[in-house]
Formats: sequence, structure tokens, C-alpha cells
Amino acid sequence: MLLPKRVKWRKQMRGRMKGHETRGVEVSFGEYGLQALEPCWLTQRQIEAARRALVRYMKRRGKVWIRIFPDKPVTQRAAETRMGKGKGAVDHWVAVIKPGRIILEVSGLPEDVAREAMRLASHKLPIKTKMVVAYDLAREGGS
Amino acid sequence: MGTPRLSATRRTVIGKQLGQLRRSGQLPAVLYGPGVEPQPIQLSARDAAKVFRRVHGSELIDLDLEGATRKVLVHDLQRDAIRGDFLHADLYAVDMTRVIRVRIPIRLVGTAPAVTTFSGVLVRGLGELEVECLPANLVTAIEADLGELREVGQAIHVRNLYVPKDITVLTDADDLVARVTFQAKEEDLATPASAAVPTEVEVIEKGKAEEEGEEAE
Repeated sequence: MLLPKRVKWRKQMRGRMKGHETRGVEVSFGEYGLQALEPCWLTQRQIEAARRALVRYMKRRGKVWIRIFPDKPVTQRAAETRMGKGKGAVDHWVAVIKPGRIILEVSGLPEDVAREAMRLASHKLPIKTKMVVAYDLAREGGS
Repeated sequence: MGTPRLSATRRTVIGKQLGQLRRSGQLPAVLYGPGVEPQPIQLSARDAAKVFRRVHGSELIDLDLEGATRKVLVHDLQRDAIRGDFLHADLYAVDMTRVIRVRIPIRLVGTAPAVTTFSGVLVRGLGELEVECLPANLVTAIEADLGELREVGQAIHVRNLYVPKDITVLTDADDLVARVTFQAKEEDLATPASAAVPTEVEVIEKGKAEEEGEEAE
């Protein structure tokens, strides 16, 4: 599963997920991408599950890019612990997702296969998503 | 196919009022270039979207502005991240006698025999080529013939592309345009590349890490 190698600070504040994403909103590497339509924290497990679903359906064809990285630590208090005594221990890592963010990208697949692979991957995610086509590819199709 | 044509009018609305302008079916834009004072203009959003969805930044457009027609290039387009609607356009009025730098798209044509016969994976590299030429010599796209990729591992580089003589390529000749690679191995699919990463995350601030280590104990 994805997680950082080293971090500057062990724990973080939660933050907010207002507005939509401004960076990482275009399909940059592949031909098709999976775009988030809702804000959420995507855990390392969810990202890995989506990647596996995608790769399994693709059957070694094509190439996959994961455009997000879980770099935010989430802490959890130990079970049956009284309040106080400081912040809990780091439990898992998440990627902060805002609407518009491209989560995964694929290339080297026919559109129907890519669409089905993205559909299967999207079922592993807790948010609404849509498949998007690279802008230059869409324009080639339109001419 | 003739040169795409757009008609524009001067724009007086600026700043926060632009939302209202967009809702009324207009697309705010700006026109600038050598010898042209930058001026805010507005286009019909519907017509502009039709043209912008078809035309690349390296294709000339005829822009009618208050009776005068200019040749322009789309320098920049702002789009809504989710809906894909156009929000603003930068139009560059070209001087037909002056050499310009633009990015021309690379269009992959045909099918690679290495993909169809050997089940290779086609990986796209560079999508655009940076070139220098006179505006009159611009081409809509530079084609890369995938038919040359007969074996897995073969690649098309910038130096292999056929580019008209009037166009000077600025992109590095060794840059990759397309390559056919082998399919991923089974074990690559089962475990991600980052599987070897230890589950413990190192903290850069040593003092802090020691403090926390003590607390945990």
C-alpha cells in the first residue's frame, strides 16, 4: 500500500475540503482518467483496491498511473481509552480529494475496455466519479 | 476545411461581473499580440466552444472584431475542471511576417503491428512538438506512423517524425513520441511498486521523533 517514506511532522490537523480542485484536473499522462466529483479522504486501502480492480480487468494490457498519494496521517485513539492524554497514534494515511481531481489514468486500451475498468475501479471508491478523456484526444475525435 | 471563423465584440465588463456575462451566453476573452494593445473582448460561448473543441493552439482562426478580421491563435484556455465548459480564452493576434513559437500536436496514425501481433502495450510519450515558423507555414498536426513499430521495444522519437522544411523543431530530437513495451508481469500486478516501502514512516525532525517515541512508551 502507498504511504510516505519520511515526513516532516508525525501528525497533522484535519483541515477542510472546501471548493474544487485546481491542480491535477487534466488527464496528463494517459488517454482516459477517473475524475472525482465529490470531496473525500481516500485511504491507502481504497486506492490500492481501486488499482487492483483496474489492473485485474485490464489483464496486463495498457499502463496505469495513480495521480494521488496518501500523504496525510489520520490518527485514531486506542479502544476503550479515556479522553485526554494527547492525540492518538497514526492509524492510516489518506489522500485529500476535492472535486475535479484525476485519481487514476490509463493508456493503451480501447475506450470500451477502459470505461469498464474505470467502472470497476470506481466501485472501490467512496465517492461519485466520472471517466474523462484526455483533452487532445477528445479534440482529435471531434475533428 | 477552411479557416475557422469567430466574431467578437469589445468587452467593457470586467472583474466579478463576468459570471453574469457567462450566464448570458458570452465567453470573456482577451486579445493581444505584437502591435496590438491588449483588449478585453467577448465571444458567443456556443460558437467559441464549437471552434475551441476542434481547433488546437497551433491553428489559425479568423477573428472578426468590429469589422476588421485578424488571424489569431488560441494561446490559453481556462476550463471548468468538472463540467469542461470554457471560462476564458487568450487569443494571440499573429504578425504574419514574424516567426512564432507554437506547440503542434502529434497525431498517431495507423496501428502498430507489435501491438496487434505480439500483444505489446503502446505507450504515448510527447503529445506536442514545440516548433518555430512563420504563421503561414503552420500545420494542424504532425503525424507519427505507428506502422513502423513492428517489434516490441521499438519506439518513435522526435527525430523520426516527418516535419515540413519551413518548420524548425525546438523539442529535443531524442524525446519519445510512442513506444511499444512488454505487458506487465503477473507479479507486478499483484504487488504495487511501493510494496517494498517499510510500514514505519521516518520523521525528519529528530528531536520531535524522540520526544514522541518516549511519549508512546
